[in-house]
Amino acid sequence: MTETRGKSFDMSTDEQTLFDANEVTVSMGPQHPSTHGVLQVRLKLDGEKVMDAECVIGYLHRGVEKLGENQTYGQFVPTLDRMDYIAAVSNCLGYCEAIEKMLEVEAPPRAQYVRVILTELNRISSHLLWLGTHALDIGAMTVFLYCFREREEILKIFENYCGARLTTHVFRIGGLQYELYDGFEDEVRAFVKGFPEKVDEYETLLTENRIWLGRTRDVGVLNKQDAIDMGVTGPCLRASGVEWDIRKSNPYAAYAEFDFDVPTGEHGDTYDRYLVRIEEMRQSNRIVSQAVEKIPGGPIRAKVGKIIKPPVGDVYHSIEAPKGELGYYVVSDGSTQPYRVRVRPPSYVNLQALRQMVIGHMVADVVAVIGTLDIVLGEIDR
Amino acid sequence: MDFLIDYILIPMVKIGVVFGVISLVVAYLTLLERKVIAFIQVRLGPMRVGPHGLLQPIADGLKLMLKEDIVPAGADRLIFTMAPIMTLIPAFIVFAVIPFGPDFELFGRQVGFFITDLNIGVLYVLAISSIGILGVILGGWASNSKYPLLGALRSAAQMVSYEVALGFSIIGVLLLAGTLSLVEIVEAQRDAGVWYVFLQPVGFVLFFICGVAETNRAPFDLPEAESELVAGFHTEYSGFRFSLFFLAEYASMIVISSMAVTLFWGGWLRPFPGIGALGFLDYIPPFVWFALKVLVFLYLYLWFRASWPRYRYDQLMSLGWRILMPIAIANVIVTAALALALRR
Amino acid sequence: MKVVRPEAMSILKKIFLVDLIKGLLLTFSYQRPSANYTEQYPKVRPKVSERFRGAPRLNNDPVTGETLCIACNLCALACPEYCIEVGWERTEEGKKALTTFTFDLSRCMFCGLCEDACPTPCLELTQDFELALYGRKDMKWDRQKLEEGNQPIVYTR
Repeated sequence: MTETRGKSFDMSTDEQTLFDANEVTVSMGPQHPSTHGVLQVRLKLDGEKVMDAECVIGYLHRGVEKLGENQTYGQFVPTLDRMDYIAAVSNCLGYCEAIEKMLEVEAPPRAQYVRVILTELNRISSHLLWLGTHALDIGAMTVFLYCFREREEILKIFENYCGARLTTHVFRIGGLQYELYDGFEDEVRAFVKGFPEKVDEYETLLTENRIWLGRTRDVGVLNKQDAIDMGVTGPCLRASGVEWDIRKSNPYAAYAEFDFDVPTGEHGDTYDRYLVRIEEMRQSNRIVSQAVEKIPGGPIRAKVGKIIKPPVGDVYHSIEAPKGELGYYVVSDGSTQPYRVRVRPPSYVNLQALRQMVIGHMVADVVAVIGTLDIVLGEIDR
Repeated sequence: MDFLIDYILIPMVKIGVVFGVISLVVAYLTLLERKVIAFIQVRLGPMRVGPHGLLQPIADGLKLMLKEDIVPAGADRLIFTMAPIMTLIPAFIVFAVIPFGPDFELFGRQVGFFITDLNIGVLYVLAISSIGILGVILGGWASNSKYPLLGALRSAAQMVSYEVALGFSIIGVLLLAGTLSLVEIVEAQRDAGVWYVFLQPVGFVLFFICGVAETNRAPFDLPEAESELVAGFHTEYSGFRFSLFFLAEYASMIVISSMAVTLFWGGWLRPFPGIGALGFLDYIPPFVWFALKVLVFLYLYLWFRASWPRYRYDQLMSLGWRILMPIAIANVIVTAALALALRR
Repeated sequence: MKVVRPEAMSILKKIFLVDLIKGLLLTFSYQRPSANYTEQYPKVRPKVSERFRGAPRLNNDPVTGETLCIACNLCALACPEYCIEVGWERTEEGKKALTTFTFDLSRCMFCGLCEDACPTPCLELTQDFELALYGRKDMKWDRQKLEEGNQPIVYTR
């Protein structure tokens, strides 16, 4: 693996004729129906087989981390929603918890329970979108629409709670802003009750389907050691056989009080990642069903004051976002604005594995592998 | 005078009617596909153009006709224009041999419910559908671009491979009917009293699978899928020329459905033609039975597209050559052996 | 826990395409009209929640008709995008009175921080989401527009 690292190829100087038997360089360009955003993958093809792949990112760079240096801690939270726009609640949670760590404040138990419920619903919604788009790329169009129908229910709960569906800005530093609305528990319970049979429906359409098996089994294999070496986290790591979930190893925000399993795979191929994420949806459902029964009463926000001025120092806090380990490294210089906010996006680190997973496969598999990595360009490029 | 009427006037009228009806069906098949797939996907499909979207094909047709005519630089203009026509025409002229109903009386003349009764009907159908593949290859070549060419070659290779298995799956029916003429095959099913699908179930399943692959429809539609790198042979086509390719695909869907109905499902016969007790079913005219059966098969096409993912190209080719072909050959051998044994 | 891969299909299941047919039956069952999930906008307008963060509005006192804004400038300070500009002047009693209030809708990300910061019930994000306009210059809302609210043309067909 080390000998092929670091080689980049320039398409402008490649001389090739139409029927050159040697490699053809093809740009699966920034605009492509399946690259899940503006990702450019430069493939070197020998006929149909992929010899090499290089990802070019940066088409969605908006300078989010730089913006953080010019906004106060409280003002920065909605900007972070736009990073992983599919799972905005996790972004919010990670940052708020990081600042709370720096201020040495703990959110009250009621806020922690509601945070867990909303974050797990967010995880389900992110995985539903992943499943829909992955299946759509491979050709199963109906799963996409069914997943979005379920996702609509979750987004309605978010909208009823905080006023926005996608860029939610749902937590504040210290706890929550809004009290729960009437009917929150009923809506969540109704969702939780109906969800497992919907997951069964997706499984009926996909899990044993021979076409699906043919497209995803043994495609994009990532073995255990390579996954650990590259820093891959999240379902991609767990499908390769490593049992590592930050919710279990370093519990945050009331996760320690719930009973749930962490699914792991064995072979590290696309099919295992699919099974792991389906099972994660079920486990998230289990967490939400436990949490919604015993939300404690009490205040919803700790006393942090209107102006947030953490002491000089730095903190690193990471959470288990739907896509992997989302980490925030915040450096404070004592003023109301952070000195530096560095985000460790899970998709950025997971994308490194694309090259190794795709070499030797066909072009049609590149689409499947990009889908299975579950990348969001907003997060990668920030 | 008789010659004029029998050989010129009546066939012209028949051609006009068949062409008109098939064009209408092809146009509304595009709408039916969108509505059926939409309903399966818990949404509504086109609803705004006309009541429940019924005028949508007209709007689509108008739009495609009025679009800008773009020909890629360096493309061979003549072949670029001829390629969609070469795909569309064979799809339509296959309908010349398909029987839509039994013979009927018209002003004292015995008129057949088909345009012509070729005694090599099946061979004609297979030969003409092979010409359609040529249009695909030329379309890809004339676009003067890497990706349409590769897509066209893959598409053509797929169509040719499945054509072989298609041909083999029909042989069972030919052994049972003893004739290549489609009109006589339907009559043989009437005389046998049972549709051939009950005698040749494997043949039918093979025929339909190969038919779906032949028309480049899901789950075998990788060469023209949007999420593929190469958008297929019709990448560079837009406007009216694209609409011709589009219509050719739907027309060949109807061709395969009509062939399946004629060869295996009794053509215009009512269900259980041998059982007299179900005679009340005779009140429904035969061509309505034919239309209903063809509609069922078209629905199957749309149902498959909505439900299943698509095969990768190498899996597709391996399926055609390594699984379907041997099964087709085995079907022929078993049918021949059984036919021989039972005749004795 | 280890995810369980389904066992290899038996020969019978493979021949009779059982897995494919199960998927077909599921999609068939969804064609019932009661399962339809589409809302036909613009004939049917979606019901948004009460807390929806839509277009901003400045509320007036229902009794006196005067604005509730006390020109404290907290909303402008809270906004991450700096889209609010508050103009004020001192009255005879020495209190602050609002003169102009500019809200640049093109920069707004509807985060709700201004609404949270406002000490009075004056600044509110309403449930109006139909904010399409023909030009950028119309996106800078002045005080009058903010008090009246956006009146979009309602198409019912």
